[in-house]
Amino acid sequence: MTDVLKIAVEAIGQDTLRVILGLIGVLILVVINALMLTWAERKVAGHMQRRIAAKEVGPFGLIQPIADSLKLLGKELITPMKVDRVLYFLAPVICFIPVLVSFVVIPFGEGLQVRDINVGILVILAFSSLSVLSIFIAGWGSNNKYSLIGAARSVAQNIAYEVPLLLSLLIVVIMVGSLSLKDIVEAQKGMWFILYQPIAFLIYFIAGVAETNRTPFDLPEAESELVAGFHTEYSGMRFAIFFLAEYTNIMIISAVATTFFLGGYLGPYLPGIVWFLIKTYFLVFVILWFRWTFPRVRFDQLLNFSWKILIPVSFINLIVTGGILKL
Amino acid sequence: MTKVTEIIKGAASLIIGMGVTIKAFFSPVVTVQYPRQTIDITPRFRGHTKLLGDEEMPERTKCVACGICAKNCPSRSIKKVEGEKKEGEKKKTATTYILDFTTCSQCGICVESCPFDALAFSADYNPAGYSREDFLYDLVKEYEKRKKV
Amino acid sequence: MVEIEELKRLFPRAEIAEIPYEERGYHLSIAVEKGDIPDVADTFAKKGCYLFDLFCVDYLDFLELVYFFNNHSAPYRIKVTTKLDPEQPTAPSISRIFTIAHWYEREIHEFFGVFFEGHPNLTYLFLHEGIDFYPLRKKQVKVSEEDKKRLMPKPPGEEEDTFFINLGPQHPSTHGVLRVILKMDGEYILWAEPVLGYLHRMHEKMAENRTYQQFLPNPGRMDYMGALNFNLAHVKAVEKLCGIEVPERAEYVRTITCELNRIGSHLLWLGAFLADLGGLTPFLYVFDDREQVLDILEAVTGSRLTYSYFRFGGLYNDVDGEFIEKTKRFIERLRGRFDMYNRLITGNVIFINRVKGVGIMDEALIRRYGSSGPVIRSTGLPYDIRKKEPYAAYRDIDFEIPTGVNGDNMDRYMIRLKEMEISLNIIEEAINRLPDGPYRAEKLPKKLKPPKGDLLSTVESPRGELGVYIVSDETEIPYRMRWRVPSYSNLMTFPELARGCLIADAIAILGSYDIVVPEIDR
Repeated sequence: MTDVLKIAVEAIGQDTLRVILGLIGVLILVVINALMLTWAERKVAGHMQRRIAAKEVGPFGLIQPIADSLKLLGKELITPMKVDRVLYFLAPVICFIPVLVSFVVIPFGEGLQVRDINVGILVILAFSSLSVLSIFIAGWGSNNKYSLIGAARSVAQNIAYEVPLLLSLLIVVIMVGSLSLKDIVEAQKGMWFILYQPIAFLIYFIAGVAETNRTPFDLPEAESELVAGFHTEYSGMRFAIFFLAEYTNIMIISAVATTFFLGGYLGPYLPGIVWFLIKTYFLVFVILWFRWTFPRVRFDQLLNFSWKILIPVSFINLIVTGGILKL
Repeated sequence: MTKVTEIIKGAASLIIGMGVTIKAFFSPVVTVQYPRQTIDITPRFRGHTKLLGDEEMPERTKCVACGICAKNCPSRSIKKVEGEKKEGEKKKTATTYILDFTTCSQCGICVESCPFDALAFSADYNPAGYSREDFLYDLVKEYEKRKKV
Repeated sequence: MVEIEELKRLFPRAEIAEIPYEERGYHLSIAVEKGDIPDVADTFAKKGCYLFDLFCVDYLDFLELVYFFNNHSAPYRIKVTTKLDPEQPTAPSISRIFTIAHWYEREIHEFFGVFFEGHPNLTYLFLHEGIDFYPLRKKQVKVSEEDKKRLMPKPPGEEEDTFFINLGPQHPSTHGVLRVILKMDGEYILWAEPVLGYLHRMHEKMAENRTYQQFLPNPGRMDYMGALNFNLAHVKAVEKLCGIEVPERAEYVRTITCELNRIGSHLLWLGAFLADLGGLTPFLYVFDDREQVLDILEAVTGSRLTYSYFRFGGLYNDVDGEFIEKTKRFIERLRGRFDMYNRLITGNVIFINRVKGVGIMDEALIRRYGSSGPVIRSTGLPYDIRKKEPYAAYRDIDFEIPTGVNGDNMDRYMIRLKEMEISLNIIEEAINRLPDGPYRAEKLPKKLKPPKGDLLSTVESPRGELGVYIVSDETEIPYRMRWRVPSYSNLMTFPELARGCLIADAIAILGSYDIVVPEIDR
């Protein structure tokens, strides 16, 4: 048995095998994470509204997400008559692939990283920008006016918030002098970067919430205005994939924030992965908490906030940090 | 400078709002878990109408099948009121009293207009059925069923 | 102020008569030729009056158009009537003078077949092409082919760079089945028009074929959020018509329950408004509070939404000590909750930015539309029927009318919040003064046969000025019953306010009216 494995490993190459196993692991993680987050969202919403939320299926309703996904799997896939078929089918696929790739470079613990690429953060940013493309394709392909407005909003919003997001991450990159996520975590051995750069963290987090289209920035799917925004015409498993991607995006944004500002997997006593998950899920909880507290901002306010406040502030922050480091 | 204080004030207001929801998060729930828990129905609850029994002769209802309620009903929900005169009795006794609950709006005009006070509201708050016919209640039969219990 | 001498001088051909207000609910009656209608309307518009209502009554020999004018400073209700030929009824349109007449005239046209000269768009409002007769005429009159053509709605024309959106009838934030056609330029609204009739049940026709008593359950079904206020409007009108005295205890209980109902309605509005703005949690918090109101009302009335609790001459049943206890507890509870609402909503910077300076109304607009309720109090007009023409126990209770300054969404929000607090004060005061005695008039006629004549009765519903106009012909059944509902004239300001707005703001404006669609459609 071990011989067979050895031969196989040699044939494929240890590195490739690591990537394949890693991808499988990531896929499992993504699905479980999204399922658990739908449950968590309902529970958080419920208790914040002083009700119980899901509780019938399994203990504390924990099996509920599985029942829901089975239901969604069993649903008929409705394709409206006048959609652009190619784009309509493509959108959920494009939506899902990039979020998978982003997980490859995130260090979950010491050595628990599928691949430590020396331009790690670039990979994440490049691939997560793809999700806006999928939203736009979904909105355009649906041939629905509400979807189209949602898609147009999404593009404007993502362009506006990508900039401050990048700028605030850049500050940390300058401080460390590396784009590798592992190096960034290791550089925080003495002190977390959130203590040096609270403003950068805040800007990153706000922009991250906007990137994931969550309340108060959930304009592309603004329920009370656009019915369901870009995914109005999607049903069944296709809709579920959008959902999956949304929750995975929340996880990525929180994981990157943890890596960059909260010391990643570093922490006393407990193993690294536990620390990482505690920090990440705390941020996820905050994002859920936002949703169940705030009303939605208006479209022009959203753009003004980014261009007039977030971007200038993060620029100044970047220059000041650069100047101090140089001195 | 005003801009900065404005932003700080705004951020503070958001944090205050988050304080409200997190407090609610850790407070006990206020909902009732319905099929497992129920709350008491108030005595004045207006369910469908029911016929009341005669105090002197519990085997019959107070209804004498005069039909005043049927005439007064705004939605004509009282479909049929029939009775027969039993030997040795002055008044008729109701034998059928059909209420179409699908059109009834529980306004209480029939209860008020009954000259013999034979009608009252039941506390039946969750009737369910598979067809419209399930809601054609015969109140005389319903009274007899109630009497047995 | 309107002076009779001046009117006589201006309209020498008109028959002007002063009417005993206490008996009939209006002050002045003016009968004019139909050609004079635009001049009369113009005169009243210049005097700062608003068009309270416009409707038609079919007297078989002739059709009578009835215009009700009133002003906001001191109530002086003027009824202007004109007779029309039942064969070929035509009348001049006054939609250029009072914009709300545009809608009332469309309604009269489809219900009675009256053609309004100079009206731009006499298409279906509530009905559809399946109905080939005029439903409110006393004799069946077929819709002519020519009129059918006129009634068919014209599709709006497409233009370059614009597109149309159907907001509704199934949309998360139209509060029922209201449909609004929006012409958009990107996210901006160029033109809007509400389309009504999805919940039309023709309550006015129903009233014409059942007795006054049998109509009791209906008003609550028009406005299910303020069911008791509608119930009261009907009961009050019939009592006035038949001269029934109501015992004082009943008047007080009516006041208390109506105010509880108002609080319930405002609470639900608060939740729905925030849901329109994207904040979903307050919705559940207000339901928690509203549940207490419903529990209290259920314990007295036996029902949770459509109460039909008031009866001619009193109440369905009396309140007990437990009701008073519960209400007092509720007052304490809600007073303690306002602070939470303020922290969660009022202070929230996102909320403030969304509502401040959006949907601004001014007094001129309000006069053209005859809007009422919290919507107009936001502009600073202290107009409230409870104060201006007091009924029930409001005569004895002193309370304040909250007003705004800017007439925007923020003011409408603040006013409703303040009104809830004031309602609590009114309830507290009414409970303290609640007299003992019968809850129902003792000597009631077995059959209600009101004397011949007409009558107007108004009530302040949670949404504004509610009016019932009854024509009696000495039978048990009303000859004509007209419901003037507040949401109708409030909603019709929407096209004007929404023009040039972002779609998100339009949704907020629509939410700020607190419309109840079944009430508009009747």
